[in-house]
Amino acid sequence: MNLDKLFSRAKEKGITDIEIFSSDTTSLNIDIFDGTVDKYEIAATEALTIKGVYNNKMGRFRTEVLSDDVIEEILDTIIASAKEIDSLDDAIIYEGDEFYKDLSDIYNDELYNLDVKKKIDYLLKLDDYLHKYDHRVKVVETMYSEDTAAVLLKNSKGINLTNKANAAFIGGSVIVKDEVDQRVGFDVVISNDFNDFNIETLAKDIVEDALASLGAKPVPSDSYEIVYSNGAIATLLSAFQGIFSADSVQKGLSLLKGKLEETIGSELVTITDDPFMKKSAASRSFDDEGVATSYKELVSKGVLKTFLHNLVTAKKDGVKSTGNGFGGSVGPVNFKLEAGSSNLDEMIKSCEKGIFITNVQGAHSGVNAVSGDFSLQASGYYIEKGEKIRPVALITVAGNFLEMLKDITMVGNDLKMSYYGVTSPSIKVKSMQVSGS
Amino acid sequence: MLLEKHIIEQVLDTALETGADFAEVYIEDHSSSVLQSVSGRLEKSQNNKAFGVGVRIAKNFQSVYGYTNSKNPVDLIKLARDLSKSFNDEVKTERLPLMELEVGKRHQPKIKPSTVSVAEKVKLLKEASKHASEYDPVIKQVICNLVDDEKDVLIANSEGRFVTETRVKVRLMISAVANDNGMMQTGYDGDGSGKGYEFFYEDMDIPYYAKSAARIAKTMLYADDCPSGVMPVVIHNAFGGVIFHEACGHSLEATSVAKNASVFCDKLGTKVAADIVTAIDDGTIEHGWGSANFDDEGYPQQKRILIENGILKSYMIDKINARRMKMEPTGSSRRQNYKFAPTSRMSNTYIANGTSTLEEIIAATEYGLFAKKMGGGSVNPGNGDFNFSVMEGYMIRNGKIAEPVKGAALVGNGAEILHKIDMIAGNLDRQRGMCGSVSGSIPADVGQPTIRVKEITVGGRKKGA
Repeated sequence: MNLDKLFSRAKEKGITDIEIFSSDTTSLNIDIFDGTVDKYEIAATEALTIKGVYNNKMGRFRTEVLSDDVIEEILDTIIASAKEIDSLDDAIIYEGDEFYKDLSDIYNDELYNLDVKKKIDYLLKLDDYLHKYDHRVKVVETMYSEDTAAVLLKNSKGINLTNKANAAFIGGSVIVKDEVDQRVGFDVVISNDFNDFNIETLAKDIVEDALASLGAKPVPSDSYEIVYSNGAIATLLSAFQGIFSADSVQKGLSLLKGKLEETIGSELVTITDDPFMKKSAASRSFDDEGVATSYKELVSKGVLKTFLHNLVTAKKDGVKSTGNGFGGSVGPVNFKLEAGSSNLDEMIKSCEKGIFITNVQGAHSGVNAVSGDFSLQASGYYIEKGEKIRPVALITVAGNFLEMLKDITMVGNDLKMSYYGVTSPSIKVKSMQVSGS
Repeated sequence: MLLEKHIIEQVLDTALETGADFAEVYIEDHSSSVLQSVSGRLEKSQNNKAFGVGVRIAKNFQSVYGYTNSKNPVDLIKLARDLSKSFNDEVKTERLPLMELEVGKRHQPKIKPSTVSVAEKVKLLKEASKHASEYDPVIKQVICNLVDDEKDVLIANSEGRFVTETRVKVRLMISAVANDNGMMQTGYDGDGSGKGYEFFYEDMDIPYYAKSAARIAKTMLYADDCPSGVMPVVIHNAFGGVIFHEACGHSLEATSVAKNASVFCDKLGTKVAADIVTAIDDGTIEHGWGSANFDDEGYPQQKRILIENGILKSYMIDKINARRMKMEPTGSSRRQNYKFAPTSRMSNTYIANGTSTLEEIIAATEYGLFAKKMGGGSVNPGNGDFNFSVMEGYMIRNGKIAEPVKGAALVGNGAEILHKIDMIAGNLDRQRGMCGSVSGSIPADVGQPTIRVKEITVGGRKKGA
């Protein structure tokens, strides 16, 4: 699309300010199922999101049709939308910041240029390794996924910013079976550096937990000490990250409303948003509104320090945007629970009667972000007097998010970025209600 | 036409050049809008326009997929050529000529979203918002979303299939937040359809759904924590069908069955459920939320009896998995959009009517949980373990519905729970959902009459009795 034409037609039609956010994405997805390529997917897409201010209200349009023919339709729709908007929010197009951090390590040309054949061969090796890992491994599926995204932000107030990042994940899932039971194992590693992938370590993470959980049964309903693995707690954190959005707070949809500078967690809890995290494809030097991003502590040693803001929520609260305006709303870039000093074995050893939870399911429906209540399906291991006794499945662990943060008694040193883009170490919680047999 | 016939033929020919035995082109022209009101004021109006072409090429079980936004023939042929490099076989498959274009005639809207002004749409949002806000003073916030979706698709393949249809979906969702004394709860309800905007004018009782969202929020605000433990659970009709969708439906999709990753593998013709259970997946229901003329491989949608009187009768099968399973496809292939290769998915899935009544079922239950409105859930098809949340729940005591309880989750195993259904009422109803899986997020109806499950693990924050 001819952007000069778009901008000049917008002005002629009475749109006072206009901004475009363009994204150009290529992706590669490969799945291997039991030794053969089962899925091979290549894609290239371009999309343009256009925001226009008319009568001080904002209209939006996203299009994948990029010919000049649609310019009139897009601008007319933006004006028609803006005319109906009666929200009291201001429509803001940003002038830009003086300084934007240079993120040089988020795009790795070597990854992009590495021959597809080598990526497939690597997956086949992982597939073979998983098959031979243990005789109880019956079904193996491995996957590789790679995305490259280039974005451009340009507006009528002079912003003109670009960002390019890529990332890949490699992972596998297995079904393990013995005479009486069948269990599923799954794990992934995320990086934009192929050298970070290690078949032996990954295979161990995929299979060991599944093997150990064969024959898992519920425990009696009761309260237990809980150790969450880094992956399991990351799933739970990802479901609650929205409560830090100032938009949710202002709309009365967050349980953190009115709690700034209050203690909301144990002093072991520090939660950050790190937009400059190395090797994360999500890392950004500016948000979708053109505001420079910054590292910030949302929770510092248990005390709630700030919410995440975009331009509109910041103006309402009389603060500066934190550079978290993404996708028309507010969100973190790289949400992270900071590491502590305990190791996982110590946490397990410290339990008199506990459960080591390695997996939680149903986080998209089993949590109430408004009240903080959650009740999630979980699996893991029963711990007695510091020893893992037997595998546990089909239980639910229930509680309230803030009460849980306050009850955290140990934080691990084993940071890991999960499939959900949340980074966390393992943690121990004093006590939670478990429902089982 | 979304793309000229001779270009489609060129793409298909290019795709088959290296010895693949099947090629398919999927073209989509898509517009949608999402309007959101907060406290009765229109806050967001997001309009979208998408166009894309997906090319799939297969040989035996192996398939490759690619997509692009471009409709330029040069780009499309390059895409087909890049994908075809995955194959290398001397034996070539002959392409059958495309049949005369078949146009889907069912489920067509009277009022297309593209003909409705933003102002008209806003009126619907304001009406919903008003009824929810005025329900009770504890309702402090109401957020309404109006979503419409209009899509033209064209599917052509190397076996001569050549079909097109227009698919329209509309939906209005209301979320109410109740707040009293620092306590907060949400309630949610709404409805949607495979019709156009006439659905809002002729069918949907907007005040009913708005008040329902507010009522749930208020009820749950003053509800006690749900006790935990194993107990009988009565799951109410309509969205209660999410239990079958999650616990069993996903495990009957070829996506998991073909890969030997489902608990229902090799179980056709055997007893998988209690005798009173009959379950159906029907993609042909007139204007159904999950209905279409054709599946996303271009074959007619069908009505599939999955389980009849407890016996497993059919899986849901797409073309490539059909090859793996040595069975016929069932017209079950679906995808979110051109960015996804199609695979076997549910459409409108429900448990058929039984012979009891809701009153009989409650009266026959001494102690248990009445799950009046279910939230969402998920399942691991590998072993059938599922979980889902209860949005509005009540205890049953002495055969009567008693106090409301909040925070309940149900966990169990799909293969086991089907045998534990011991009562089914005659009040079948369906409700709208969005189902996420390998080929993206798609509209799917869930449904059932009120059923009772003899025993199931209920997870809550309070110690059980």
